[in-house]
Amino acid sequence: MPSQVPEAFLARARELLPADTITLDPAELTEYGRDWTKVYAPAPGAVAFPRTTAEVSTLMRLATELHVPVVPSGGRTGLAGGAVAARGELVLSLARMRRMDAVDTLGAAVRVQAGAVTQAVHQHCEPHGLTWPVDFASKGSSHVGGNIATNAGGVKVIRYGLTRNWVLGLEVVLANGDILDLNGSLEKNNTGVDLRQLFIGSEGTLGIVTEATLKLTRIPEKLDVFLFAVKNLAAVIALFRETRQGPFTVSAYEFFTDACLARLLRHRKARAPFDAPSSHYVLLEVESADIQTLEMWTASLFERGLVDDGVLAQHSTQAAELWTLREGISESLSATGLPHKNDIALPIANLEAFTSELGGFFASRYPDWEICLFGHIGDGNLHVNVMKPDALDKETFLKRTKEADHEIFALVKKHAGSISAEHGIGLLKRDYLSYSRTPSELSVLRTLKRALDPANIMNPGKILEI
Amino acid sequence: MKILVPIKRVSDPDNANKVKVSAAGKIETTGLENKPNPFDEYAVETALRLTENGTNPKARLGEVVIVTFGPKDTETTLRGLLATGADRAIRVDVTDDQLDGDILARALKAIVEKEQPDVVLLGKQAVDGDSNQVAQLLAEYLGWPQATFAGSIKSDADKALVIGREVDGGTLNVKVTLPAVVSVDLRIVAPTSVTSMHTPATHKYADGVRFAALMAIMAAKKKPLVEMKLADLTGDVGLKITYKGAELPPARKAGVKVKNVQELVSKLKNEAKAL
Repeated sequence: MPSQVPEAFLARARELLPADTITLDPAELTEYGRDWTKVYAPAPGAVAFPRTTAEVSTLMRLATELHVPVVPSGGRTGLAGGAVAARGELVLSLARMRRMDAVDTLGAAVRVQAGAVTQAVHQHCEPHGLTWPVDFASKGSSHVGGNIATNAGGVKVIRYGLTRNWVLGLEVVLANGDILDLNGSLEKNNTGVDLRQLFIGSEGTLGIVTEATLKLTRIPEKLDVFLFAVKNLAAVIALFRETRQGPFTVSAYEFFTDACLARLLRHRKARAPFDAPSSHYVLLEVESADIQTLEMWTASLFERGLVDDGVLAQHSTQAAELWTLREGISESLSATGLPHKNDIALPIANLEAFTSELGGFFASRYPDWEICLFGHIGDGNLHVNVMKPDALDKETFLKRTKEADHEIFALVKKHAGSISAEHGIGLLKRDYLSYSRTPSELSVLRTLKRALDPANIMNPGKILEI
Repeated sequence: MKILVPIKRVSDPDNANKVKVSAAGKIETTGLENKPNPFDEYAVETALRLTENGTNPKARLGEVVIVTFGPKDTETTLRGLLATGADRAIRVDVTDDQLDGDILARALKAIVEKEQPDVVLLGKQAVDGDSNQVAQLLAEYLGWPQATFAGSIKSDADKALVIGREVDGGTLNVKVTLPAVVSVDLRIVAPTSVTSMHTPATHKYADGVRFAALMAIMAAKKKPLVEMKLADLTGDVGLKITYKGAELPPARKAGVKVKNVQELVSKLKNEAKAL
């Protein structure tokens, strides 16, 4: 793809911004043109690294004036191609904007720039006994701005909800360079339509998040981590029913299959949790439970045959080991093969019926595909990973998964689910959006997009084609 | 085979950056998570591997007795290790400031005389004090052979042990007849580091220390745990080592950014004197 960043733009930018703001270095272009979706070839025209909101605004004003398409870019850990620049766009990276202000312990909030790394925010808040409860496997690379732009989910959604719930204020730069300061740090502000929410989850198609006031919560005093071995998905759901009524607060309920574990053990040094392998595993993390009560509860699980085996982490090192078994999966799948990822959500009540139909579909139509199933089942979120068979070349594989996706998404629609639970739509799921959004909804989304970005330069082609 | 494993509860070594030192030079451990000294966990894992058939670890083929020196709440640590498979536990009721390596070795000698184990298996050192003394002192007081820093152990019909000692530049193989004192190093928990007389030679353990199964956690509540008094084990409770104070390492100076290679080279040469 030829660059869509004209010399005129570069010249004006050089006049108005520090010389090192924009790079054309091919290595940087490759690096900043892609995210964790490995299927798109990166081809940006240039990469800009502004240092301040004012510089972002300048870049956007110029981009509007000269019709330069812009791909806002954070930690690029997305799995739907939302941060991919494959058509000569200008990548606008927030990587240099990583200031974190002092933690407001009274208001339980912290103001940070969009480029602050999620884990750095956690570490910044930890000495105050506070945390930003947006937590997932890629937290060491992902940016707060990206978390907000994608309304990120993760492993603690069952306890804390999506990123949307943990953003008090936002600073956003619009396509024309205007800067919006939304909601400050107010917990309560009932003054009409909450514009902040418009940008959360907009995947950079409506504006660029440059700063945010994050809402914090207290770090739980004690977390206990279990790993259970169970027979099948029905048992995973039966156990979930039990934990819902258990004598504790559930902070995570995750599951994965033996296929995921096998690939993880091939890829990294980790310990198989049980002597005997099992087909399904559940990771349960609970908060502030009294150990006696907890033990009585677990004893009853065995008595009633709800679990086949189980371990309880004795200290934080073991807890981290158990978490690795779940959080390492995504990385291990990519390291040991080419996964085609689907990230779907279903009403929990329909989960079993859906997976049984899905299993039947794969078995009859693609019997030789290896399916790695895992997810945050506690919030109805299922990661369906199809691994590329060695015999199939990449092109054919992607073509066939694309065909399969239509049928999978039809199934998702039938069971009242969503085709993207937490990864967003980006490029990867764009053509399937109608499985989850009605024509009237899509029409409203297009109206919004045209109003805020009339020239269609904000992450064009992502979420919807205008 | 009967094995005695002394255990120390330490403040989580992963939280070393949270350690505070009071104005009086005392290390503050409040707010830090407690866990067994990792090397002692390896010693328990080793003891279990020596007293079971790895293909059927539920059937115990020997006895592992764990002992710790600490206040009442260290029993949690003991229960956790009982849950991984140890058979019984002893807690000697003291606090850390009443102990040094020598008292520990003398008190352990009294316990050994009472329990009559074939092997005393220890972690090579505790990760808080890093003293690395107890195994050596105990062997001397007992007049037993010792093998320290074991990276591998092979049982010779449970009459002797062939120990691969981790030494500079390689492994030193020694054979000790039992009873003996053995301290273990990091690699002892690798899949084939321990060869017991019960486990088939082809068996491979999972790397590391085993998890506590839930059923075993329940069962561990019923395992015997007795309390002893330090004064009953040693008549002399005076400390030979007294801690004078502790201080944190000096904070690192902030780095500087250099503009180009020339400046970097100049700084390395003139300021850091590294070139």
